[in-house]
Amino acid sequence: MLDWNIIVHYFPFLVQGAVLTLKISILSLILGLIFGLGAALCKLSDNPILRWPAVFYIWLIRSTPLLVQLFIIYFGFPQMGIDLGPFLSGVLGLSLNVGAYNAETIRGGIISVPWGQTEAARSLGMSSGLCMRRIILPQALRIIIPPLGNNFVILIKDTSLVSTITLVELTLTAQRLIGSTYKPFEMYLMAAVLYAVLTSSASLLLGVLEKYTRKEVRAS
Amino acid sequence: MKEKNKHTKPILTITNLKKDFGDLSVLKDVSLNVLPSEVLVIIGPSGSGKSTLLRCVNHLENPSGGEIYLEDELINDETKSKAAFQRHLNRLRCKVGMVFQQFNLFPHMTVLENVMEAPLHVLKQNKEDAQNKAVALLEKVGLQEKQNAYPSMLSGGQQQRVAIARALAMEPKVMLFDEVTSALDPELVGDVLRVMENLAKEGMTMLVVTHEMGFAEKVGDRVIFMADGIVVEDASPKDMFTNPKEPRTRQFLAEILK
Repeated sequence: MLDWNIIVHYFPFLVQGAVLTLKISILSLILGLIFGLGAALCKLSDNPILRWPAVFYIWLIRSTPLLVQLFIIYFGFPQMGIDLGPFLSGVLGLSLNVGAYNAETIRGGIISVPWGQTEAARSLGMSSGLCMRRIILPQALRIIIPPLGNNFVILIKDTSLVSTITLVELTLTAQRLIGSTYKPFEMYLMAAVLYAVLTSSASLLLGVLEKYTRKEVRAS
Repeated sequence: MKEKNKHTKPILTITNLKKDFGDLSVLKDVSLNVLPSEVLVIIGPSGSGKSTLLRCVNHLENPSGGEIYLEDELINDETKSKAAFQRHLNRLRCKVGMVFQQFNLFPHMTVLENVMEAPLHVLKQNKEDAQNKAVALLEKVGLQEKQNAYPSMLSGGQQQRVAIARALAMEPKVMLFDEVTSALDPELVGDVLRVMENLAKEGMTMLVVTHEMGFAEKVGDRVIFMADGIVVEDASPKDMFTNPKEPRTRQFLAEILK
């Protein structure tokens, strides 16, 4: 049976862990969007100097496990004189990882906008940058928000892996409390509930955003 | 009637234009001049290169050879660096409006925003001027009451008229119409053609690729018949439709007018 006293007593400690999980998630989400958009635009570029590094980055990240990527940054980099510490290593590893997935999502959204839109914009004298910013990206956004939201939900859950590089976020908080209470079921259950709260809140927010960007479609 | 002076300098000069897509030669050797205020109608079977010719004029297609001058400026100027060439193209494209078969309105913007977009962000007009101009243009194409609608709420004919207004908002010197009524239901074609006819009466220089022979005869100053990447016949509408000289032209007209 569940020990409710333990749950009531330790819940605030887990919420503290969840706060760090949330911080890591939000930072990685923002950086991951920047990496993703940059890599997507580079991979779509005609210029091989931009295209090939982006192709390599996306391939490298998607073909290796996140856990190994985190270990390379946290344990490997200091050997080359780059010691980022657990927090920055965690955020960098997660955002590079989600960035590569975002890049493919964003690229897919961009190329799904009909070519006629680009031709119409260019025929009006728009530069390729202006066309991308004003015409293509706003339309691509409507297409990419649902899969991008999916990437973010996965990101929130993947933050649990940074517990292995000594960041006391939600999962490591639970593990440490188990060390002193011997109550793994209660602790992991509370952690699971808190993860579900975080991911569900993110999904809800994205649902609102999706509705907002589809206002013209709804009007028809 | 418009004043047409054969000694006027051409606004558009195309010489020895070629376009290949891989092994396929779509334009073989096209030369023609277009005078200011002239309405040039281009007819021909599909695959004859007429759309490609139009798309080379504003460099949506990169010609494989030949030269296109807008007034005195070479459009496909390959001596320029890549960045300079892009700027050069953007500037020239402001002077050449284009209307597409599939309208290509921006679906995330209202009708008014579609028309204002390029004047605001390319010509950097202030918002009030751009808006007044856009409203006036929408009135001209008979859609002032639709200014706050999104393109998806309009019929094809209405969308195409918005597309014409959007191109006109840049105050182009030449307008290109690429089979603009081909995607429309027959009862919507008339409204679009009327807008184009009025534009022609106002003295706009127009290159019109179309299958609407009635329009070609009524509004065109000159008709060219293209087949297999060359201009087969270049004549007045009257001569083209009543007395075509080339057997290939006669065959085409017999086919579509029967």
